[in-house]
Amino acid sequence: MDFHAALGIGLPIGIGIAAVGSGIGLGGIGNGAMQAIGRQPEATGKIQLNMIIIAALAEALTIYAFVTMFLLSPKI
Amino acid sequence: MGLEFLARIRRTTLWLSGIAALVIATYFAPLAGAGLALGALASLANLGLIELLVVSITTPGSKASAQARARAALALGGMITFFALGALLLKFLPAMWLMIGFGVPFLVMLMKAVALLLIESGWWAKFTARPWRAALAVLAVAFAMWLALGALPGAGGASAQRSAKPAAHQPAANQMAASAKAPDAAEKVEAGGDKGEAAGEKGEKKEKEPGFPTVITLLEQAQPHAAWLPFVVHYEALLFSLFIAGLICLLAFFASREAKMIPGNLQNAVEALVEALHDFVVGILGPKYGPRYLPFLGTLFIYILAMNLFGLIPFMHSPTASLNVTVALALTVFVYVQYTGIRGLGIVGYLDHLIGSPRDVISWLLVPLMLPIHVLGELAKPISLSCRLFGNVFGEDMLLVAFATLGILTLPIAKLPFGLPLHLLFVPLALLSSVLQALVFTVLSTVYFLLMLPHDEHGDEEKAQHAH
Repeated sequence: MDFHAALGIGLPIGIGIAAVGSGIGLGGIGNGAMQAIGRQPEATGKIQLNMIIIAALAEALTIYAFVTMFLLSPKI
Repeated sequence: MGLEFLARIRRTTLWLSGIAALVIATYFAPLAGAGLALGALASLANLGLIELLVVSITTPGSKASAQARARAALALGGMITFFALGALLLKFLPAMWLMIGFGVPFLVMLMKAVALLLIESGWWAKFTARPWRAALAVLAVAFAMWLALGALPGAGGASAQRSAKPAAHQPAANQMAASAKAPDAAEKVEAGGDKGEAAGEKGEKKEKEPGFPTVITLLEQAQPHAAWLPFVVHYEALLFSLFIAGLICLLAFFASREAKMIPGNLQNAVEALVEALHDFVVGILGPKYGPRYLPFLGTLFIYILAMNLFGLIPFMHSPTASLNVTVALALTVFVYVQYTGIRGLGIVGYLDHLIGSPRDVISWLLVPLMLPIHVLGELAKPISLSCRLFGNVFGEDMLLVAFATLGILTLPIAKLPFGLPLHLLFVPLALLSSVLQALVFTVLSTVYFLLMLPHDEHGDEEKAQHAH
């Protein structure tokens, strides 16, 4: 397998794996936040704020994979 | 009929010539589009002056006669000036398109008059009495327009059809390909068949990143050999971000220039935004430090939001889809946060913070471990901030481009100058993500400030936040 073919196969799979990982993470974050809001509706604002921060951190990992893909995709 | 009819003509002409100019500027030549738009504008202005003249002459009553004479003189003088201007325009812009633009209002007038006659006639009432007959007529008209558009040389927008008849309209087709919504993707599809045709200029075009055409791309086509062009193309994102900053300054100026107790619309909107940002920042940083950092953080939010949303305007480009801009923003935050830390804690306190505030023997033993962790953590902040913003905005733009390309490629046989607007499905998503990313950037910057500020009651929280 030459370099281009390896890159062509690897990039989409890599970004897919990254998406799966951060999808699981986001699911957990959303789950926790929704449960917390359900238990304490009066703290909704604070919980949502923290949820967005942590969700952004989890999502960033996929974005890194995405940026890497765009950096490498011209080499295919 | 009368003045109201003329006003309607003016509105219709403005819309029609605007859209036509945009389409022609994209698919033919930018100068032609400009010519069309300017011609239509000149014609409209001329019509307005004629209207003024006629009204001032025919207005009954001798009371306002001096005024009427002044108006008539103004109208005549304006028309003569316009003749001179028209001659000047003819020198610089393609004459054919200027004339077409000049004719647009008359065409609209004719069509409107015909439509009025038609609608009032009994035949039309009989015709539209039955819905299916009317629907059939609409379909027939649409079909006829389709055929007519296909027959027009060079009317097809999708570059995919270029291979069908390459020799017939090569110059137009080349420009179309460069400006069709996603040149790179479409070119890759047929790169094999096309290479021999225009290899010279294609070679450098291929290096460009895929994307929607912007004002800069249009400039590039209009003046391909200008001396300032490399500069403009190279600093595209910077120019756009400066432009946006200027727009925001203007908006703020106009909103705050005449502050009133009972605000107008603009002042009201800006005040609501500032108030929301104030509550938000003070809610995180507390009433002591919040107001001090509000200007910086609020400006960040508004600026980033404006830059994210700017890419959704046709012929504009999101500056945040370029890593240069986002890194600059993140570095600003980084430097300001470190400065805040050093200023608030003192040099010793800052170093103490960096080595993890050791107070007993075990934590002093852990210093060699804590120092690199903290330093790396500080350095990772700007990287993650900038990459997150860049990745999201860039990815969102690429998504829109990919689906617009798909929309063009679905209709190559129809030879229409446009494709299916498939990317419209994702515009709401782009709106949402633009706002969210601006918010996330601001929230994270605020939290970085919070971590650096001297805090008494937040000791436990800080450790929890450092964990990530």
